[in-house]
Amino acid sequence: MSQRNQGSTQSDYGATHWLIHQAAKRAPDLLSSRLEEEWLADLESRTTVLSRLGFALGCCWASVVILNEQPRRRVAVASSATTAKGFIVLPDRGFGYFSLRSGTLFLIAGLHAALFYGLITSLANTHHAVIPPNLQNYTIVPVPPETFTPPPTGMTAKDWTIKVKDLIRVVPREVNVEGEMTTQVEKAAEPYSPPGTGEPLAPVIKRVAGGPGAGFPDTRDFYPPPSIRAGDEGVSTVSVCVDTKGRITDPPTTANSSGFARLDEAALKLARAGTGHYRASTEDGKPVSSCYAFGVRFQLKK
Amino acid sequence: MGKKDVNVRMSLQTLKVLEVFLENPTEQLAGADVHDRCGIASGTLYPILIRLESAGWFVSKWESIDPSTAGRPRRRLYRLTSTGLRCASEVFASFNRGVLA
Repeated sequence: MSQRNQGSTQSDYGATHWLIHQAAKRAPDLLSSRLEEEWLADLESRTTVLSRLGFALGCCWASVVILNEQPRRRVAVASSATTAKGFIVLPDRGFGYFSLRSGTLFLIAGLHAALFYGLITSLANTHHAVIPPNLQNYTIVPVPPETFTPPPTGMTAKDWTIKVKDLIRVVPREVNVEGEMTTQVEKAAEPYSPPGTGEPLAPVIKRVAGGPGAGFPDTRDFYPPPSIRAGDEGVSTVSVCVDTKGRITDPPTTANSSGFARLDEAALKLARAGTGHYRASTEDGKPVSSCYAFGVRFQLKK
Repeated sequence: MGKKDVNVRMSLQTLKVLEVFLENPTEQLAGADVHDRCGIASGTLYPILIRLESAGWFVSKWESIDPSTAGRPRRRLYRLTSTGLRCASEVFASFNRGVLA
């Protein structure tokens, strides 16, 4: 033991030598004995306990670094284990054409590429689902109001007759006990008696058919998404029966199909949802319960 | 001596080690001596010495002493080779010989 090492304790001496011994064992086999002897010799130059421990710990790190660098190097070994030429070729521990560093780089690049691909594809799907379709405001085709014009004076009964559309029917307003029904339409539909025959003329009724009124739902809210994707368009005519307050009294029915079952069903939903927002038909300005039809146009914006 | 790979990855610590040896190219230094002169820790110093030796810039040999007589173990001494001297000089020349000043 040298004079420099006299200040060191026995435990310090054992710990540092043990660390250097372990570090040398982790070094490449052909350098192990040489490095252990070299490090133990250089350890003698350290005087304090901390510097000796630091030196020993540094040797542990050095052995790891040397081990990682040695496989691709030719190392001169001048210790007792030296070969004839003084050089020993260590086996290459690389990964084929790529070194460990290149392999790690490719791995990281691959992970980034996979991450970006996943983000791009998921964003593309979200974009497709979020973009609203190009829709056009619905167009409700109202049935033109039907009015009765009084016949001109002097015309005979054979000149004209009043026909009531099949689609328009008047709900009986009065039903007596015996079941007799009287409606003004029935009276208006009676054949006209020419003046002078002594029979009184039927009263003229000015009737205005109802239709969707203020606050009626928007057609776009009922456009079936499958129909939007399929590009289905058409006009579905819906028949509804509405009371005097604009509420439907019977389930609406399809009077004329659009050619697409989904659109017809959507028109019926729209008609049901619009209850309370219908304009009641009027007769002589008075609202009456009636049934009428209106068209619901489903059209995509071009 | 076989053909060596003279390409050495240069770092600031490597340049400091070379600078110590270039002060007196014929001098033989142990790792402890290099540490005393440039202050590089053992965890960095010894890999550099092994790396430069593998590249043929250094040669090393055991100290010619009798441990029992000297009272201490023999040390490993490193010395610049002619190739190492030339290459190290070129490296410092490329840095305009003043980068470490």
